[in-house]
Amino acid sequence: MTTNNVEQEIISIISDVSGFDIEEITPDTNLANDLEIDSIKAIEITVAIEKLFKISIRDEDVPNITTVKQAIELVNTLINQKDANA
Amino acid sequence: MPKKDKDIYDAIIIGAGIGGLVCGCYLAKAGMKVLILEQHFKPGGYCTSFKRKGFTFDAAAHSFGSYREGGNMRVIIKALDLDKRLRIKRYTPSDIIISPDYKITFGADVDKTIQDLRHAFPNEAKNIGNFIQYLTTSKPIDFAALRKKTFKDLLDHYFDDNRLKAMLSLPILGNGALPPSLISAFTGSKIFTEFILDGGYYPEGGMQALPNILVERFKELGGELRLSCLVKKIRVKNNEVQGIVLEKDGFVQSKYVVSSCDVRHTFFKLLGEKIVNENILHIIDKMIPSLSLFILYLGIDKTFKSLPIPGTNVWFMPHYSIENMYLSAKNREVTNLDAYMIRLSPDKKTLLAFTNAPFKNKKFWDNNKYKFVDALINRIEQHTIPGLSKHLVYKDAATPHTLYRYTLNYKGAAYGWASTPSQLFTPELRQTTQIKGLFLTGHWTTQTQGIPGVAYIGLDTAKLILKKEKIYSR
Repeated sequence: MTTNNVEQEIISIISDVSGFDIEEITPDTNLANDLEIDSIKAIEITVAIEKLFKISIRDEDVPNITTVKQAIELVNTLINQKDANA
Repeated sequence: MPKKDKDIYDAIIIGAGIGGLVCGCYLAKAGMKVLILEQHFKPGGYCTSFKRKGFTFDAAAHSFGSYREGGNMRVIIKALDLDKRLRIKRYTPSDIIISPDYKITFGADVDKTIQDLRHAFPNEAKNIGNFIQYLTTSKPIDFAALRKKTFKDLLDHYFDDNRLKAMLSLPILGNGALPPSLISAFTGSKIFTEFILDGGYYPEGGMQALPNILVERFKELGGELRLSCLVKKIRVKNNEVQGIVLEKDGFVQSKYVVSSCDVRHTFFKLLGEKIVNENILHIIDKMIPSLSLFILYLGIDKTFKSLPIPGTNVWFMPHYSIENMYLSAKNREVTNLDAYMIRLSPDKKTLLAFTNAPFKNKKFWDNNKYKFVDALINRIEQHTIPGLSKHLVYKDAATPHTLYRYTLNYKGAAYGWASTPSQLFTPELRQTTQIKGLFLTGHWTTQTQGIPGVAYIGLDTAKLILKKEKIYSR
């Protein structure tokens, strides 16, 4: 999966869970402040991302996801690690 | 613009529990034409009251939480301009937990609660502070780290003392119907923070006042509520909702349908296998509902010395194995009663007690109901209210079958699905469904439970619909 696709897929998941249109979501969008992501939606997004990309997000990385960009970067890092280990 | 047809709605909500009512109010407030349908003759779901022999009893929910400044219930009530019209009092302490060695009090002052806990468990002093700080100050995203964990994992992370862990888990068993080893850490945390640390709120006149004021507001906003009105089918064409079919009045057209009732009933009966993907039906069929409750209602002749403080939930635990309490609740017999909660009503005239109980079958409860009534009274008299039986002028109970009969919740489930980590956030049961225009809300969405939970998810479902309609404003 290309980096660009990762971004599109993550934005699609966030749009689906938050109810906000894809057009309203950019890498700089803040999950809690701009998209009203509460604890329930934060878990739904995390679970959906893990399932789609077949990755496991570590507990200590979870608090660092505050913007869409941070989610994308973390997923890219985890995918690269997975590929390197494959 | 064409005149709106009298019998065509923008949204129909099935079920007038707190989730359905909050959802309906917000949709109506945004200008949508909304119809709420309820099979019972009164609104409220598990949040209702009833009168017998001059006593007013709360049927199931007997207080609620999350009404602090900024708490979800406060935000919802305020946004509907009801905060001045609904008189809500906070009873403190909200909860007292009595074990063989300790008595822990949870009150409005969290610092005092922490002090009390530290006094009882000095070796855990630092951990108690850390635990409560984690629960009360974490950001929403932080809770994502709990997604696979149980409440036991969380307690084990913070504490060593098994007695403390058990005492903190009893209200979770009562309000979530699962022991710490099975309940998700997320649900356990939310029950603890929203129901216990910020609990004890009660509307003047009884719990029925809450749904009643929501209905009043809903109607002011142009909404229509039909009681004693059973929905027979949700009609779907080309995977898009068309409306619903009523048992008596036939088809009613609507762009959106929100099911705020039992999910099994929704998917198996109201939709049916011709409409729902076989795979989804299979997933729902395998899911486990939460346990039900046996609820005791007592009327007393006068107040007397041994009664608890009015409006306080008193939890009694005869031992520290919450896991065993859950196993005995699953196989509840009149001979294995153990933990219970008892509460004197704010009007000081009635008592409500409950213990977790399984659905079993109707015959079992018909045969055993009054044996349970007497056995539970006996236990309460023995442990918490000496002399109780001398003052009783009325006694009755709701069995799991009673809960089912009034709400149609599958197996009389008290809290929707059992909130285990594997069932929490089941993707197939999210608020948005695979059928266009069909939404779910309430405690069967696998996301939440309890009054603050369903109110919040009701609001959130309304927001999702308003976003689809491009009429959402923050």
